[in-house]
Amino acid sequence: MTSGRPDLTGRQPQAIHSAFAVLEEVARAGPGVSAREISASLGMPRATVYRLLNLLVEDEYLVRLPDLSGFALGAKVGRLVGAHRQDAERETGAILADLRSRVRGGVHLASLKGHRVVVLNVDPDFPLSDPDRLASEPGCSALGRLILAEGESRPGHQPIPYAVQVDQLVPGFGCLAAAVRDADGTLVAGLALALPAGRLRDPSALWAMVAGDVARLAAVLGRVSG
Amino acid sequence: MRELSRAVAAPPRVLGVSAISPMAGLERRAIGMVDVLAQSVGATAPTAAATTAPALIAGQTGGSVLGCLVLAWVLAGLVNFTLGQFTRRMRAPGSLYTFTTRGLGTWAGFASAAAQLAGYAFLCMYCLVVAAVAVLPLVPGGSSGGRVATCLGVAVLGLACFLVLRRGIRLSARITLIVELVAVAGLLVAMSAVLAQAGWSGLAAPLASAWPAPHTLVAGIALGTTAFVGFESAAALGREARRPFRTIPRAMRWTVIGVGVAYVFSAYTQQIGAKAFDVPLGGNELVVPQLAGHTGIPGVAYVLEAALATSFLACAIASFTALSRVVFTLGREGLLPRAVGSADPLRGTPSGALVAVVPGVVGLPIVMMALGSSPASLMLPLISVSAVGFLGSYLLAAVAAPVFLHRIGELSRRTLVIPTLTALVLAAIVLTYIIVVARDDRTAFVIVLLVAAAATAAGFVAHRLRPHAISEMGLFDETTLGDLLGAADPVAGVR
Repeated sequence: MTSGRPDLTGRQPQAIHSAFAVLEEVARAGPGVSAREISASLGMPRATVYRLLNLLVEDEYLVRLPDLSGFALGAKVGRLVGAHRQDAERETGAILADLRSRVRGGVHLASLKGHRVVVLNVDPDFPLSDPDRLASEPGCSALGRLILAEGESRPGHQPIPYAVQVDQLVPGFGCLAAAVRDADGTLVAGLALALPAGRLRDPSALWAMVAGDVARLAAVLGRVSG
Repeated sequence: MRELSRAVAAPPRVLGVSAISPMAGLERRAIGMVDVLAQSVGATAPTAAATTAPALIAGQTGGSVLGCLVLAWVLAGLVNFTLGQFTRRMRAPGSLYTFTTRGLGTWAGFASAAAQLAGYAFLCMYCLVVAAVAVLPLVPGGSSGGRVATCLGVAVLGLACFLVLRRGIRLSARITLIVELVAVAGLLVAMSAVLAQAGWSGLAAPLASAWPAPHTLVAGIALGTTAFVGFESAAALGREARRPFRTIPRAMRWTVIGVGVAYVFSAYTQQIGAKAFDVPLGGNELVVPQLAGHTGIPGVAYVLEAALATSFLACAIASFTALSRVVFTLGREGLLPRAVGSADPLRGTPSGALVAVVPGVVGLPIVMMALGSSPASLMLPLISVSAVGFLGSYLLAAVAAPVFLHRIGELSRRTLVIPTLTALVLAAIVLTYIIVVARDDRTAFVIVLLVAAAATAAGFVAHRLRPHAISEMGLFDETTLGDLLGAADPVAGVR
């Protein structure tokens, strides 16, 4: 027994690694993947895969499909990642609330993943003027312009920090969209500040005012999208 | 983690999974580890078996009780490993019947159903008769041995079990557990008293007894194995247990380990006590009360009798529980009338199955007593038939295990070798046990033949007249949409 214990603890990190590899493989291959297929694609010994699968089924991270040979991700996986996501939502909410108390204007957060504008958090005091046009005509909104500029930027160049539009949606008003990037520099979201045109005359100063908040948002969003 | 996050963000659509389980209606995820353990321990009735098994084995082998019990313990461990292959993969209220059907098909499934129904039903009858006989002297004006009084006792206890079981699995499991704990404590007190009185001399004697001839040894192991039957009954709670793929194998494993310790301790103590007080052990049904009497401690014999009676009652409840789940499954499949597959909508109990099984189980011993059998002459045949049923259903499941694993593509060397070995040993044990029963107990042998004939006939009739029900055989509590990733979000679930 004395030699068994250190051996077990020594192997445990490897076992956790393997368990995640199995979960990841079930996610990759899709529902119905069999133990044999998982073992083949991961190059793991079959007996190990059977044991890990049964443990993951015991813990309900995986479920056996009615044919008993196929596996699928269990509801518990969603809860695991879902809890993580809720934390992130709470943190972004706090950052936005802080910004809204400092900026006298609309503060919105939108996801720009896949070069599509999906509004995540709208300032309750300043509703969006035209949410439909935001999605259909990228050129008329600051968030859309951020995506367009990202598409035109060449590799090696400094990524653009923000985009601006004035008078495009509502005369006398405009918007600055600050780019939120993940650790790789990929554009993941945009922080939009909707303000009267007069306050957008010096966008770089405006950007500098919120740069710290943008970095904090990037850290939180980078964690969930990883 | 990229693929995992992607799957969480957009759960994939899963084909072939329905919204409702074929076992819907039974309560789901209602009971925890302790209650599942209570089911297995209760059906095994360790107090009763620890009291009677050593005398039975000694009567058969003329000594080496410990050796036979330890080998039977190892065999129970092998059976547990084999059944674990199923209980970690399938939540099946039909338990061994469903496992066998999934591995070997419908004919073997039929044989398993008959074996399992006989196992649980006759165990139940045995428990009710013994409990009635034990309880009667404690009732004012009652005396044990009277046929009419025993019939009444069986009926009243059967009704009591029915009422408890109908209230729901939580209550019945709790009652089983408390009753069995009291019984085990009573036995331990009595046994400790015997050991304390016997003195230190001769403590090593039971370990030194000689091994019997091979065929006698097999007969001894067969009797020893019957002491462990019932441990598998937690499998019937597949739907009702929380985290069933963990709790059920665990409950079965700990039952085998725990009752094994109790049996070895009890056999050891009885052998020492028998020698110290010069009480015959082999075939002596009253060895424990007699030993307790020799301790000279007032009340020990009474505690023991109360413990035994309660242990049998717990065993009756646990056997009814498992029996009703098997019958419920047969009803859902359409092999039995659909009405027995109905569940109580409020309590989640298999009410139709309970209504079907309780009168039969209570009625048969009453009919046999009405035909002239004395309660005492009834006990051995009932328990022998039950043991043949259990051993037969284990054998079929052990043969089915590697086939099943091969079918789902998860057969490994270990899961081929151990179940095959288990099946070979069980085949020898079943055969020997049937020979012992045929030689010693005509009534039991006739009942076994009748059950086998009835099952075969039912098999032919069902295959001919109910092809749809045959195609439904092997239903279990399968994964439903609610178990899948994305179930919490109805929109995601549709994708």
